[in-house]
Amino acid sequence: MAELTDSGNSAHLRRSLSLTGATMTSTGLAFAVIDYIAVVSILAYTVGVSAWLAVLIAGFLVLIVSGLFSELNGLYPTAAGIRLYMTSAMGERKAMITTFTYLTSVVLVIAADAFLIGSAIQHVLGGPSVAAYAWIVLLLALAVGGNLLGVRMAGTVQTIVTSIVLVSTFVISIVAIATTHGSYSYPLGLFHKGIFHGVQALIFAVFLYAAFEWVTTAAEEVHKPAVITRALFIAPAILFVVAGVFSVALAHAVSRTAMHGSAYPQLLLGKAALGEVGMIWMLGATMVAAMNTFNGGFLVASRFIYAAAREGILPRVFARLNVKAVPWVAVLALGISSGVIAAAVFATRQWLLLVAVGSVLEAGIYAVAGYCVVRLRSRESDRVRPFTLKFGRSLGVFAMVVFGILTVIGAFSDPRHPSHLSLLPFLVVAVLAVLSTVYVVVFMPRVKAKAAARVAASRPRRRPPRVTGIAGAEED
Amino acid sequence: MADWGELDEALRDYQMTCNSNERLRKMQRDWSKILHFNCEDNGVKFTMDVDHGEIVSYREGHVGTPDIIVTTNSETFCDMFWGDLNPVQKYLRGEIKVKGSQEDVMRLDAISYVIWPD
Repeated sequence: MAELTDSGNSAHLRRSLSLTGATMTSTGLAFAVIDYIAVVSILAYTVGVSAWLAVLIAGFLVLIVSGLFSELNGLYPTAAGIRLYMTSAMGERKAMITTFTYLTSVVLVIAADAFLIGSAIQHVLGGPSVAAYAWIVLLLALAVGGNLLGVRMAGTVQTIVTSIVLVSTFVISIVAIATTHGSYSYPLGLFHKGIFHGVQALIFAVFLYAAFEWVTTAAEEVHKPAVITRALFIAPAILFVVAGVFSVALAHAVSRTAMHGSAYPQLLLGKAALGEVGMIWMLGATMVAAMNTFNGGFLVASRFIYAAAREGILPRVFARLNVKAVPWVAVLALGISSGVIAAAVFATRQWLLLVAVGSVLEAGIYAVAGYCVVRLRSRESDRVRPFTLKFGRSLGVFAMVVFGILTVIGAFSDPRHPSHLSLLPFLVVAVLAVLSTVYVVVFMPRVKAKAAARVAASRPRRRPPRVTGIAGAEED
Repeated sequence: MADWGELDEALRDYQMTCNSNERLRKMQRDWSKILHFNCEDNGVKFTMDVDHGEIVSYREGHVGTPDIIVTTNSETFCDMFWGDLNPVQKYLRGEIKVKGSQEDVMRLDAISYVIWPD
């Protein structure tokens, strides 16, 4: 143990998250295996290689979101920030409904990645199609097991892992563009199929950036909020470059029929670029990306559930810790939920629906962020803001309108059937929202009352009463 | 407002309760950290040194480079160390501010949860 010497007023942590670390955390949280499928979804609504334009426009919209989250993160620089600013802006009940619904997107992404990586491994190794589900179960079991044992990716490893995925995707895309024969038609034809289809493409392009804002939960690990702010602005730029190039390469080198029927378009691109080597390379990148998603997803979601159970708004059982100080019931529940959803996707072959649902939830949360900024500018106008978004009110309203519209259109867009509207995404999101609402309105008050009763009945106050200056008198 | 004397009494009890809890010691055996605490109401600062799950010392003033910095008012600290309040509720209301990794923040709360489950 190091000897302690008086250091005066220490303001800095021994270890804190650097700008590179924060940026790669943000990028890694966003870049999941499902993003490859999101690019296929964009291509369903666009012609030629114009999908990159949707990725670019979505990137600009997301930069506004970066500004919104930067202001909110500056106001509440804590892992619990999202709860705090939503509660301040819209009240506890609505904040809880929104948060619980939002949290389901993490489970959806874990389930989707498990399904997609299982399918990719089965495609490369061969065997009956049911083998894919065996891979899914195995991968989720490994993720759950690793989490329960307290295995965590260190910050540097996470940065390396994210870099491997991004560089692999970028390099394979460039090689595919350089070596394969295909057309580069309609590079600017985003709205060639009509304005409505162009807007639908934008919704799925927004999904490529989904979860980048979760880096704000690392607000307590940085020296100053500006690190998170910078990361929030740099990560979308990196995501644009990688996803944009990947979209051009995919449209250029892989046939639409092949990619739309496939759960592993990145392997098809790898094969088109470098043959079997490229396919194996992309399989490796896919596995690494899934590892990143499992690590981040399980950690963020299980800790949120733990905190909610400790607070008394989720059943107490979710706060149970194992000997590694891991909330094991929460981790197990996440693993089982993800396995069930992955099984449903496996049975129905509806992986594109997950992209649609995720896009709707994400666009919805961006609209909520706009609302929070506008509302808190009035309600908490006196609070110090380390980052103040210029034209914050106007941009907040703009985000509410634009992302609100994208949410509504996305709720009726299923990339499996791009030529007509579908009720499926809306129904899934509606079910999730109803379940969250029923829990918050009906069950949460009971859970809270139970927790309060337990505390009241548990034991008397331990702290000794304070003795005041008057002999024999005690303060409360 | 609690002065250092009251905080010292609370910390002594906290140290004894934590160090005598076998389950907690086992759970935190890989956790060695320096914690800095700031009372924002009276300016009192103190340091806690945890070595492999054992609270080896605490003292007034800031000593060493911290892994975790906790800031709240002195009354909340006293109640927290006596186990009379749930730190998560205060944290989620923004009344306790913490700087440190999410894992360390979770571990810090786990201490209270294990020694005072209710």
